[in-house]
Formats: sequence, structure tokens, C-alpha cells
Amino acid sequence: MSKKRYAIVLDTRKCLDCKACTVACKAENLVPLGTENYRNWVSEGRLRGSYPRLGQEFVPGQCMQCGNTPCKRVCPTRATGVGAGGIVTVEDKKCIGCKYCMTACPYNARYYNEERGAVDKCTFCAHRIEQGRLPACVETCPTNVRTFGDLNDPDSEVSRLLVERPYRVVKPEMGTKPFLFYLI
Amino acid sequence: MSKFLRPEIIGKGSIVSRLLKRKLSRRRFLGVSSCALGTVALGSQLNVLKALAEPGSGVKLSLVPDRSVFTCCEMCVNKCGVIARMREGVIHKLDPNPSFLRSRGMLCARGNAGLQTVYDPDRLKYPLIRTGARGEGKWRRASWDEALDLVAGKMTAVADQYSRAGMMFVSTEGFQEEFFLRFAECFGSPNTLRHPTLCLASNLQGFGATYGTNPFPDVRNADYLIMSGANRAEALFTPDSIDMIAGDGGRRKLVYLDPRFTRTAAKADEWYPIRPGTDLAFVLAMLHVIVGEKRYDREFIDTMTVGFDELVPHLETYSPEWAAGECDIPAEDIRRIAREFAAAAPRAIYYQGRRSSFFDNDTQLRRAMAILNVVVGNWDVKGGMLPGKKIHLGENYYLAPWYDGVPERLETGDVTYLSLKDGAWKPFRDRVLAADPYPVKGMMVYKQNPLQSVPNRSKTLAMMEQMDFICTIDITMSDTAWYSDVVLPEATYLERLDPIHVLSGPVPEAVMRQPCIEPLFETKPNQWIMQQLARRFGDEVAESFNFTMEAFIANQVEGHPEILEALRTRGVYRENDEPVYGASHGKRMKTRSGKIEIYSAKYAKEGQDPLPVYRAPQTPSRGRYRLLLGRTAYFTHGTTQNNPYLHELMAENSLWLHPDEARRLGLRDGSRVRVRSSVGEESLPLRVTEKIRPDCVYMDHGFGVLSKGLSRIHGRGASDAALIEDRMEPISGNVAMHQTFVEILPA
Amino acid sequence: MSAIATVIRRPGEWAWFGVLAVAMLAGGAAVGYVFVAGHDHALNVSRQIPWGILISTYVFFVVSSTGLCLVSSLGDVWGFKAFEVIGRRGHLLAILTLLTGFGVMAMELNHPFRMVLYAVISPNFSSPIWWMGALYGLYLVLLCGEFTALMIGSRRMSFIFGLAGFVAAISAHSNLGAVFGLLEARHYWYGSFLPIYFILSALVSGGALTALIVYFNHKARGISLSPDYERFMITVGKLQALFIGILMFFIVWKMIPGLYGKPPEKYEATMVLLAGPLAFNFWFFEVLIGMLIPFLLLINRRTLTPFGVTIAGLLCTIGIFFMRYDLVIAGQMVPMRESVAEGPAHLLEYFPSLAEFAIVAGAIAFCLFLYSLAEKFLPMEGGHRH
Ligand SMILES: Nc1nc2c(c(=O)[nH]1)N[C@H]1C(S)=C(S)[C@@H](COP(=O)(O)OP(=O)(O)OC[C@H]3O[C@@H](n4cnc5c(=O)[nH]c(N)nc54)[C@H](O)[C@@H]3O)O[C@H]1N2
Ligand SMILES: Nc1nc2c(c(=O)[nH]1)N[C@H]1C(S)=C(S)[C@@H](COP(=O)(O)OP(=O)(O)OC[C@H]3O[C@@H](n4cnc5c(=O)[nH]c(N)nc54)[C@H](O)[C@@H]3O)O[C@H]1N2
Ligand code: SF4
Ligand code: SF4
Ligand code: SF4
Ligand code: SF4
Ligand code: SF4
Ligand SMILES: [Mo]
Repeated sequence: MSKKRYAIVLDTRKCLDCKACTVACKAENLVPLGTENYRNWVSEGRLRGSYPRLGQEFVPGQCMQCGNTPCKRVCPTRATGVGAGGIVTVEDKKCIGCKYCMTACPYNARYYNEERGAVDKCTFCAHRIEQGRLPACVETCPTNVRTFGDLNDPDSEVSRLLVERPYRVVKPEMGTKPFLFYLI
Repeated sequence: MSKFLRPEIIGKGSIVSRLLKRKLSRRRFLGVSSCALGTVALGSQLNVLKALAEPGSGVKLSLVPDRSVFTCCEMCVNKCGVIARMREGVIHKLDPNPSFLRSRGMLCARGNAGLQTVYDPDRLKYPLIRTGARGEGKWRRASWDEALDLVAGKMTAVADQYSRAGMMFVSTEGFQEEFFLRFAECFGSPNTLRHPTLCLASNLQGFGATYGTNPFPDVRNADYLIMSGANRAEALFTPDSIDMIAGDGGRRKLVYLDPRFTRTAAKADEWYPIRPGTDLAFVLAMLHVIVGEKRYDREFIDTMTVGFDELVPHLETYSPEWAAGECDIPAEDIRRIAREFAAAAPRAIYYQGRRSSFFDNDTQLRRAMAILNVVVGNWDVKGGMLPGKKIHLGENYYLAPWYDGVPERLETGDVTYLSLKDGAWKPFRDRVLAADPYPVKGMMVYKQNPLQSVPNRSKTLAMMEQMDFICTIDITMSDTAWYSDVVLPEATYLERLDPIHVLSGPVPEAVMRQPCIEPLFETKPNQWIMQQLARRFGDEVAESFNFTMEAFIANQVEGHPEILEALRTRGVYRENDEPVYGASHGKRMKTRSGKIEIYSAKYAKEGQDPLPVYRAPQTPSRGRYRLLLGRTAYFTHGTTQNNPYLHELMAENSLWLHPDEARRLGLRDGSRVRVRSSVGEESLPLRVTEKIRPDCVYMDHGFGVLSKGLSRIHGRGASDAALIEDRMEPISGNVAMHQTFVEILPA
Repeated sequence: MSAIATVIRRPGEWAWFGVLAVAMLAGGAAVGYVFVAGHDHALNVSRQIPWGILISTYVFFVVSSTGLCLVSSLGDVWGFKAFEVIGRRGHLLAILTLLTGFGVMAMELNHPFRMVLYAVISPNFSSPIWWMGALYGLYLVLLCGEFTALMIGSRRMSFIFGLAGFVAAISAHSNLGAVFGLLEARHYWYGSFLPIYFILSALVSGGALTALIVYFNHKARGISLSPDYERFMITVGKLQALFIGILMFFIVWKMIPGLYGKPPEKYEATMVLLAGPLAFNFWFFEVLIGMLIPFLLLINRRTLTPFGVTIAGLLCTIGIFFMRYDLVIAGQMVPMRESVAEGPAHLLEYFPSLAEFAIVAGAIAFCLFLYSLAEKFLPMEGGHRH
């Protein structure tokens, strides 16, 4: 059996900006209270047009689990690494809090977690995956905006979606090779 | 709260610091900010401290649950299925129950934040008795016995001095409300007052008068959806909110009418910023086109309905051109939409909405919506309006004592169709204030928050002021609790065993609430509270409460062990997974005529319009704006704004105003403004946005609280309830909340 | 008391040490507060602007150190006679500024002690910050070597250490530029400009600071400049003029690509300096105080006096402090994520907290304090032939 490469495919057309994913993540991962502390987010897209012709998109996001990781590259103590399934990890005890990775991440996906005493970020809920449960943000979403799965499995939902539907990634010019794919 | 009190800021790791942390957590938990006074019986503390210290502590934790509990959410009316993930006796996470169909296996932000109702330092913890003046916030912690004796004593005093009708019982839906209502009945007061006349009474009335029932829209299978005044992407209603999106990208088309560009508008194929209060014109014009162009379902009309022939001439004058002038929607669009709608029928739904407490013509509007659905043959068909079904549960019988000489409901005769169970808030409050025909001097409140929920807050305050006695049963220090004499803390939904409830619908489901943890502090389930109270009113009353919750549930599933089995193993019970369509065709409807009533003979008899007649709403005079209100997806009414998780999503509401108007008034985005209506004045930040009609302003419901017991949001934002005038829709008695004009002044 | 009295002889010194003491106390208190309250309460740095004034002050100090090293080695390594006079002082202050710099940075780090451990047992050779640590460590050693060499007056040793130190300084410092310059995500920093620019601005700092120490030493002692020092001051002045000239040229070419064709993010960041929240810092402190006035003072014969050079040095140093601050902050002010739905796109905000200010003040005072003591107890004169 080939090794896994996890990814999340998002269909933003379905996003209600209900923020269930954000709250779910904070609860699941004991993210401290505070508006600066979060592993995922939902951005309000710019309001298009002008009254009474308006349009708006809502774009959820989180660590892109990049294939080419500036955050890991710059981390002086190798606290940031890449774990099973391509999940980018932070080893608390090695994190010196230099915040270099935060300046290196083009997506503002990281924050310093005072309670853990280390930089924290989305882990794709690795602990849930191990138990065969979906990531909290994926599971709780009313409209299933996020689809989670293994890209190395050609029959997985994510693989199929990326074959059937056109998609984009965020800031491709950064060369980070993100593993969050946004369907167009 | 001072940053120094935050537990996480003490050095991490060491035992000492952890102990210190716990002390602080405890201080925090009992902080005066939470206005729970006195110290704690240490016995009950341990798991509380665990609960609080844990999420706060830097200690590395396994995030793996050691136990899971099936239960269901009580953060709003939808009651989504929940699997509570437990760790070391603490509720770690609330996950959606994938096998709960109605919610399509989701849990919204509030549902996820639900665990904070248990661990929030601001929660109610002990019975409290007021020591200062009402609303002053001076409390004394009391034992349950003392508190309940006081309540019983006061109630008896009211009953003796006035009559048993002198006690009013205010409540809102919930899995333990039935015990409150049972108690009211056993106490012998006809004056129960529930939420429907603040919410959907006119909706139920309008659709009920037509269909004989309140149908459920088969949103998932509809090809054409028109939603007006139903912000489903934010005002979440299961499964509609989800299905509305699920169909997207397929054949489904969504037309959305709302003076605001809401999240739903962002999801709609077409959005029209309709002039508020003119939806009826739009619907009548659609009917005009469909009937005029004979795009209706003749056969269905002939077999299933009465009064179509009266409808035809009635529609003469209601042309799209006429309607365009009323609702600011181009005639050609109305005509096109009408044709598309008819073409898509019967998989076409003019969505009835939920809250219909908008205007004083709302019953007639909902009638018109129903009629529009009817003429295209939209009844009990896939993708149409479906009859609600039930799952039969065993009854728990009781015998309420009979008292002589108790007058009938206070507001009898004020409303064409008054529900004896729900009452009508506006006329009721007016009559209390006038003590006409008799005084009401005692108030019991369960799971309702009138000070935020009933229009014209100052009147509600006046009503409460003249009460001899007010007792509120709640889980937080709501505004209403804040103004009560006795506050009784109910255990939250995650700490309770609740009766089985059937959520009716095309696919009815039975759910049950199992306790995840023992009630913290001295909180108790309402069933216990009512039981203890009943004991203080003699054997006859006590008899009706002489049961355990387990026994109660056992009766519900009498002879149906499979129900309990399903609830244990899957957290939900249902008999079929898909709606059964068409069963009601050719059968008798629950109306006088036995048919769907396009023309309402009974309305005619009551002197109401038998067919919907349009009357234009008032337009705001220059410099004034129509105040609109509604929800966001983050909060439930006026209740969850203080939840730590949800508070982070929105700390304060703001006043929406169109840029052109802002420029005219010389007001900048973010600046604080005062909003003045004929009944109140509030102040809040201005939000300049293109997302609203220039003649309207809008604010989210539920801020501007009076209670200091809601420490995070006290002093934040404005209360819409304080601003809106108390108008009423006469047929259903529903309040009309969008008929208030306000002026905006710099703060 | 008497101990202090032995240190402090002149009333002027009382004032001087008094001021330093106050600043150091404030800094100490702030440091304490950071440990009690935690970084996210004590410092105004945020998720979006993780690096604040402490980092920029760190940069300021190490730039000064590098500059001092480079300039003062001109004498002992490159044989520019005029520069031998400041060999000892220059290198000593280079050491002190470097140490202070490390101290300030440690306050920005959440776990300086973890760093010491894991930088060794779990190094990441692809991390510019790791190299920064390593190279500056080496540089510190060599500086100390050079300083001892100068104190014992071994010319051979001082030449070798000096040369090595010179190389270390260049590589360490250009690497510091790379710490910023290698961040693809930060358009304003990204590229080869910063490493080079850092070296150049180091020379400006070095020139300025050497001039300052020479002048104030004599003032403090109340003696007038010997011909050697006279010559030194004028030479430094001329050199400064050249350095500043090139610096201005660099700045212009930093700005033009930032505007030309409005490159995304880079343009917004550039505008932050030219016309945005940091415009006053830029035009007044960086351009006017930091470059123009000193430049004019130094190219004008009538003001090219030891005093003029000193004033120019003082102004330069102030200007350079702001250059560091503006560079660090401007590079982070453009959000990594579009965050407003309506109205103009907004920039992130950062303003140092009281604690941050206090730490900076304390650090500067601490550095000066140590140097003043050194002046008292170490033979700073000599190390060069009269
Ligand atoms: N201005 C304005 N008024 C409105 C509305 C509006 O949008 N704007 N909306 C209207 C609508 S649609 C409705 S349905 C009504 C709803 O209005 P209400 O019926 O008052 O419902 P909530 O506002 O949710 O208040 C519920 C109260 O019950 C408490 N509670 C929650 N859970 C429990 C529990 O388990 N046990 C007990 N004992 N108490 C509990 C909460 O703390 C809160 O105080 O408001 C109506 N009024
Ligand atoms: N997140 C969340 N979900 C909820 C609730 C909650 O509190 N929070 N409450 C639940 C309850 S009890 C109810 S009743 C429902 C309420 O469900 P909805 O009635 O859909 O919710 P509201 O926000 O009251 O919707 C009012 C909308 O109608 C618009 N509107 C105002 N006047 C007019 C008009 O004249 N014409 C038209 N076409 N539109 C108009 C307003 O701008 C607003 O967007 O939501 C349920 N779901
Ligand atoms: S939960 Fe789903 S719908 Fe809600 S905000 Fe997150 S992604 Fe969007
Ligand atoms: S998104 Fe940011 S944190 Fe996540 S892997 Fe990519 S660079 Fe690293
Ligand atoms: S903050 Fe921690 S994780 Fe980030 S770069 Fe520094 S050490 Fe690595
Ligand atoms: S995958 Fe898990 S950690 Fe990542 S954002 Fe979703 S919930 Fe948070
Ligand atoms: S919609 Fe949200 S709040 Fe309402 S019941 Fe479901 S999860 Fe709970
Ligand atoms: Mo409602």
C-alpha cells in the first residue's frame, strides 16, 4: 500500500460563512480563546459590483500543508517538520518562539500558542484521522465545503474531484505547492 | 477581567503553577463578573476545576476521547443530533451525529460552542434571591428549599389576593418546557404566554388556513426556490439551510427577496432588494401572471381546492406593472420569475419562511404564498410542499386539578384566532399594564427572555415593574433573569436527561437528550424544579409530578423497545429515510371544507379578507429609515452572544446604512451613532455598506443587554427590542417588528 | 557609596550614570513583566506582525557591531594609519553592542533557553536564523580575540584575528540581511538587496559610532583632541560622506522598483514609507536626520570639523535606528490575507508597547553603561604608536 498524501478540496460556492469550522477547530484542538488564536478561518471575499447588483464569495482556509514548506525551511531548530501523510507539524519542545515560520508562511496560517508554549497550526486533526474520524472542520460543515482525503489513492473523493473539476491553489506564485485545492 | 487573572499567563508546567492556575481558574469561575455570589460547596468543585483548568492548562493532553455520548443540541430550535466526546469526565468536543438526517450530519457554530454553556464562568450556578432593587444586580445565594418556598409562597399570595389567573407563565419551546406548562395548568392559570406570537404565528395561521396544516418544503428536491424574508444561510433552519445549498450547481434556481444583501443573497441566483412590506404585491403579481396566462394546474385545483373561481377576478388589478411600483422589482422580472416558477412546478416552492413577525399584513402574505404554491399544484409532491408526519410515542397522562372561578385568558377577544396555549404577547402585555379586565401580578419565566424578545422593551420593563413577584428559570443571567426576584438555575442541556422528542417533518425523527456529565454546581433539571415546586401546592398537584424522568421516558417508548434501542445505538430513531410522497392526495384536508382553501370562508365570517388584499406599507418620511432586524449564523436570538467562542466571532452589533445615506448624514463607517425611535434610543457603531436598501437600516438582534451577568457583552451594541414599536397582526396576534422608523444621530 | 565614588569623579558623570541607571531599571522592570505576563500580553507583536521593535533594535545593535568592527579594523588589518587610534575602543564597543543585541533578541524569543539547546542538537542548516546564530557566535569569539590582541598589543595576532573577524563580520551580517531577504512571502524584503544593503549601512553606523566615541571620550575627560585624533575625525568624516552618498543611492534604487509598475505587496509596503503610516519616520528621521543633514555637514568644508563630524555621526545613528525599525515593520504591514470586504484595503498596525520601549531604552543604556565602565577601568588609549 502506497504512503498517503492528505489534502483538502474546498468548494467555496457552498460556503455560508457560518464559522462552524472555526469554532469546531478551536474546541477540538484546545486552541486558546482570543481572536488572534485560530488554526482556520473564513474570509469574506470582496463585495463585487455595486448596489443593487452585488456578489460575494466566502473563502475558508487553514494551513495548506504545503509540499514545499518555507516554514520548515526557515525553522532553526527543526521544530517544524513534515509528518505522515505530508502533514506539516510543530514539535512543541523544540520551538524557540522565534516566529520566523510565521513571517515565512505566505498564508498567515500560524500563530503562537501561549498555552502550549509553541507555534501552533492546523494539523489536519491528525489525531482524529488516526482514529478514522474526519477532521473537525470537515465533519461539522453544514454544506460539506471541505472534502478530506488521500491524493495518493486514485479512487478517493479528493482525487476524483481534482480530476473532474477545475481548481486553483492560493498564491501559486509562492511555489509552496499547497495541498488545499479550491474548486472553481 | 484583568489579564493577570488569566490562568494561562502563569509560568507553565510546574505543579505549583498548575495549582495556582486552578486557584485562578476558580476565582475566575466564581468571579463577580459572573455575578454568582458566595463561595462554593467544595464537594462539587473538583470536576469543575478539572474542566476549567484543563483547556486552560499548558499540560500536554491526549485529544482522544475516552467516552462518547449521544445527545442533541439545545442551542436553537433545530435540535441537531450530537455526539459528545468526553475526556476524563470533561466534555471535550461536540461532534455532529452523522446518522441524524434532519441536520444532514452537521453542527453549526453555536452547536460547537455549546460546551461553553457548561464551562462558561458566566453560567448560573445557584438559586439566587434578589437583595437590592430590581435590576440592580444585588443577589443572595440561597438553598433550593429557601428559594422554592419563597416562590411557592409568593405564587399562593398572588392567587389568594387576585386569582390564579393573576400568575402568568412565560415559556419557549424546549425539551423540558412541557413540565413548566403542566405546572401552569396544575396551578390553574390560563395565562401561559409562549414565543409563537413573536415568531411565526402569522405564518402558521396563513398556511394553516389554506392547507389546513403547516407544510414542510421539500427544498432538497425543488428545482425552483423563491425565498422572501427567509435568510436561510444565516437563520439556520434544518434541513432547509443545507438543502438550499446542496441543490446549488444543479438544476436548482434560487430567487431571493430581501432588503439586505445577506449571506443567502450571496448564494442566490437572483437577489432583489425588495421594498419592505411589499412581498404581498410581488406574490399577487406572480399569481396574476400564472392565473392570467393559465399556467396553473387545473386538475389539481379542481380536485384538491376550493375558491379558485373567486381568486381569478380578485387578481385583475394586481399586474406586474402595478407591483413593480410597489416593491421596486421590474415588471418583466416578476413576469419572467412567475413563468419560470410555473414551468418548474410542481418542483417549485415559494418558501413560506419561518419568522413572520414582520408586518401587520403577514397572515395575508403567508396566505398568498400558500395560494401561489397551490395553484401550480404544489402539494405532497417531490420537490414541493409536504405534509408533516409524526412518530407515535406513548403518553404520560396526568390530571390537572379543577379550580372554580378562574377567569379566561387575559387577552381573550383581542385576536381573531387566539391560541389558548400560546397567547398573544402584545395584547397580553397591554392588558397587564391596564389591569384590564383583571390584574396580573406574578410572573414565572422558563427559557424565554421577553426583555430581548418582545418589541418595545420599556413596556416589558413597566409590566415587570408592576409585578408583585417574578421568578425566572434560566441557564444564564438573561436580561429577564436580571430583573427577576428569584433566579433558578436549570442544568444545561448537556447535563440533563430530557424526554424523547419527535421532530416532525416529511421524515420525522425521534431524538433524546442524555446527560454527558452530572449537573455542575447546584443546577437542576426543570422536571426536578417543577416537581419540588408542585410538592408545595398540595398532594393533588404533586401527584402530577410524581415520576422520575426514566419512568417518563419508559412510558414514551411503551411497547416500542426498538425506539430506545435506536436512540442508544445511533442517537436517533426514524421509520423511513426518504419522504413518502402523495399519500394525502384525494384525501380530506384538515380544513372546514376538507379541501385546500384558496378562498377562506372562515376568514370571511370573521370579517377578515377571504382573499389576500394588498395594502401598501407606510413609507418613511425624509431623514427617517425603516428599522429591520434579524439574525446572524453565530447567535441564537438574544442568548448566545456572551458565549466565549461565539463572542469572538462578533463582539458587538452595528447599524447597517447605505453609503449614499451615510454621506448625506455625514457619518463615517465605524463611528458611533444614536438610533432613535418613538419608543427608545440606543447607540452602536455604524456600518456603512452597500448591502442594504437606502431607505432601511438594519441591526442584528440580541445585543445591548441590560444584564451585567453577561460580562462579555454588557455595554456592547444596541438592543433592537428597545427600539421597535409594538405593532400587531390582528388575525394571528403576531407582533409586527419591521414597522418602526428611526432617525440616526451622531453619538 | 565610596565604591561608586571611585567610579564617578566628575558631577557630569553623576548625571550620566544616573540617566543610565533609570533607563536600565525601566528595562529591567519591563523584562520582568514579560516573564510574568507572557509575550502576547507584554509585547504588541501579533499574529500578523510577529516581529516588532525588539527585532529591529537587535538588528540596529548588530549592524552597529559590524560597522564598528569593519571601520576599526581598517587600521589594524588594512593599515590605514588614521584608524589605528580607535582599534581598542572600536572593537570593545563592537563586542558590547553585539552582546546587547543578542540580549534584546532573546526578549523577543519565547524560549531563548530552548534555542541554546536545540540549535545545537537539532540544527537546521537551511535556516538563515540558524546561520545567523552560528556566524555571529563565531564573530563574537573573533572579536574577543582581536580585542585581547589589541590590549596586549600583539600586532601579528591582532592582524590575524582582525582579518578573520572582518570576514566573519561580513558573512554574518550579510546573512542577517538574508534572514529577511530569503522570505519569498515578504515581497518588500525578498531578494539580494538586503544582504548588500546591510553591509553598506553597517559602514555608515561604524563610521558614525567611532566618531562619537572618540569625541565624547575627550569631552568626558575634558581634554582636547590630539593631532592623531583630529586626523582620524576628518578622515572618518570624509569616509562617512562617501558611505552616506552611496547609501542614498541604494535607497533610491530600493524605492524605484517598489513603485515601478506597482508590484503587488511590494508597492503597498513601499508606499507605507513614502506616504503611509511610516512616512514621517522615513522622511524626517531616515532621510533628513539620517542622511541629508549629515551629508551636507560632511561635504561642507566649514562644518567638516571634529564637532561637525560628531553631530553628523549622532544624527546618522538616530536615523539608522529608524531605518531598522521601518524596514522590519514595513515588511510586515501588508496583510498576507485580504481582510476587508468593503472600502479601501487596509494595512496592519503595530506600535510598540510600553514594555517594548522600556526594553529598548534599557538595552541602549546597558550598552553605554558597560562601555563607560570599560573606559574607566581598561586602558583604552594606546594600541597604536604615537
Ligand atoms: N427584537 C427581536 N425580537 C425577537 C426576534 C428578533 O429577531 N428580534 N426574534 C423572534 C423570534 S423568531 C423568536 S422564536 C423569539 C425567541 O425569543 P425567546 O423565546 O425569548 O428565545 P431566546 O431569545 O432564545 O431566549 C431563550 C432564553 O432561554 C434561556 N435558555 C437557553 N437554554 C435553556 C435551558 O436549557 N433551560 C432554561 N431554563 N433556559 C434556557 C436562554 O438563556 C434565554 O434566556 O424572539 C422573537 N423576538
Ligand atoms: N443562527 C440562527 N438561526 C436561527 C435562529 C437564530 O436565532 N439564529 N432562530 C430560529 C428561529 S426561532 C427562527 S423563527 C428563524 C428565523 O428565520 P428568518 O425569518 O429567516 O430569520 P430572520 O433573520 O428573522 O429573517 C429576516 C430577514 O428578512 C429580511 N426582511 C425584513 N423585512 C423584509 C420584508 O419586508 N421582505 C422581505 N422579503 N425580507 C425582509 C431581513 O433583512 C432578514 O434578512 O431562524 C431560526 N434559525
Ligand atoms: S463550516 Fe462550512 S459553510 Fe460554515 S463557514 Fe466553514 S466552510 Fe463555510
Ligand atoms: S501554509 Fe504556511 S504553515 Fe502551512 S505548510 Fe504552508 S507555509 Fe507552512
Ligand atoms: S517559531 Fe518555533 S516553529 Fe517557528 S521557526 Fe521558530 S522555532 Fe521553528
Ligand atoms: S483540520 Fe483540524 S486542525 Fe486543521 S483546521 Fe480543520 S479542525 Fe482545525
Ligand atoms: S442549528 Fe446549530 S444551534 Fe441549532 S440545533 Fe443545530 S447545531 Fe444546535
Ligand atoms: Mo422564531
